[in-house]
Amino acid sequence: MPRLTFRFLSALTFVALSAAPAFAIEEGKKPVNLLAPNGGLMFWTLLIFIALVLILSRYAFKPLVAAVEAREKALEASLTQARADRDAASKLMAEQQAALDAARREAQQLVADGRAAGEKLKGDLLDAGKVQQAELLERARREISGEKERAIVELRREAVDLAIRGAGKVIEQNLDSAANRQLVENFLASVKAS
Amino acid sequence: MHAMPRSTARLAALALFALSARLLGAQAAETRPPAVPPSAEVRTSTEPAAAAQEAATEHAASGGHDDNDIITPHITDSHAIDVPSFSAPFVREVELPRWAPVHVGGYEIDLSPTKHVVMLLLAALIVISLLVLTARTQARQHDENGHTKGWAGGIEAMVLYIRNEVILPNVGPHGNAFVPFLLTLFFFILTANMLGLIPYGSTATGNISVTATLAAITFVVVEIAGMRAQGWGYLNTIFFWPHDMPLIMRVPMFLIISPIELAGKIARPFALAIRLFANMTAGHIVVLAFIGLIFYFHSIASGAPFLMAIAIMFLELFVALLQAFVFTLLASVFIGQVREAHH
Repeated sequence: MPRLTFRFLSALTFVALSAAPAFAIEEGKKPVNLLAPNGGLMFWTLLIFIALVLILSRYAFKPLVAAVEAREKALEASLTQARADRDAASKLMAEQQAALDAARREAQQLVADGRAAGEKLKGDLLDAGKVQQAELLERARREISGEKERAIVELRREAVDLAIRGAGKVIEQNLDSAANRQLVENFLASVKAS
Repeated sequence: MHAMPRSTARLAALALFALSARLLGAQAAETRPPAVPPSAEVRTSTEPAAAAQEAATEHAASGGHDDNDIITPHITDSHAIDVPSFSAPFVREVELPRWAPVHVGGYEIDLSPTKHVVMLLLAALIVISLLVLTARTQARQHDENGHTKGWAGGIEAMVLYIRNEVILPNVGPHGNAFVPFLLTLFFFILTANMLGLIPYGSTATGNISVTATLAAITFVVVEIAGMRAQGWGYLNTIFFWPHDMPLIMRVPMFLIISPIELAGKIARPFALAIRLFANMTAGHIVVLAFIGLIFYFHSIASGAPFLMAIAIMFLELFVALLQAFVFTLLASVFIGQVREAHH
């Protein structure tokens, strides 16, 4: 290991020595000065760089940046468009929902109305039926009583006739028929009165 | 400024390394003048040691460039580029054309292309093809399915991250005008950094001329942004003239603070340039030193520097991304600072 270290150190010294002529060339040669400017190289650098700036800005950076900006603008536009579309869609949906709700409410109203009307009609019809029934009953009762009265009158006349005929038969001979008849009539009137 | 300590430490390490190397080098040159440097082994250690020694001797005698040094050629600029080769060292140096220097107002400027110019051009071409292709693919995918995916999506995500999280929040309102410049800065520096990490590549951003130019461009953009945003108020960023102080205080404060403001203004691009340059250079020096150790050890012990070199390489990958990011971030912050009315 010490041998290696020695070799390394000596190598470093050696490289320094061997590189030395680069910086301190023998008396005859001009020493290399790394900081000495070279007018020709400066001119070429200037020329090449300016040409490069002109060419690149015209043919590379301008289209490159323009394309990127166009892309950014397109992205921005499509984002804005999407946002607007989404807003419009949600508005439309809200409108649809409102319309649907209204329709549903209306339908419920219609059903309720129909039911109420039906109920009312049913009640009315029932009432009308009852009234009619009562009327019919009343009329029947009236007709019955009228008939009964007439029958009674008829019966009574028949009875009077029969009685007169029977009594006539009995007292045919001795009695003035008109006077008798008056007598019976009176009697019957008293009966009726009682 | 969170990256400051790291880069300062790296710069310090680099300076220390350079200094010690210079001292030791001078010493070495004194002690063993024309002798064959044993470090030739570093370049040719795949061959048997003796043969290597001979080859090195021949090479040194024939007067090629300094074979002792494997680091300097890799971190400095040159008039030759390395290209892949199918035969033995699998690398071939191709000389770049040399043009006559141009004279501009007393200064002589050599405009002939160098290795780093080639690397910058390569980085620019890679960035252009990558990003333009991404833009095309993105447009097609947008037409097809409205979003980006795959490779184009990844690049787009990077662009958007830098734009939305780094540039726009720091630059402030109406920062869109600065987006292409700052994005270009990021991708260009990132690609140039990465090119230094691949075989046959070289780090152009490890050259002070390149980083200084990028920082100077940034400085100009920052100051123009300040002038456009503040109008005459821009002068307040240089000349300190507090209105809420009595005149007797205002004048000395003006005289003391104004130079500091000006120095601060200039220090920011300076820091940008040095930070990128130092980070790129220091990392490469460390990696190359470890690679040198691998060949020097020439035994099982080579495994240690080998693993270290790999680890540092991963660190370099991260630093390449980080420094591109930091440069862009700080440029954004500076633009934002000068644009908002302050002081």
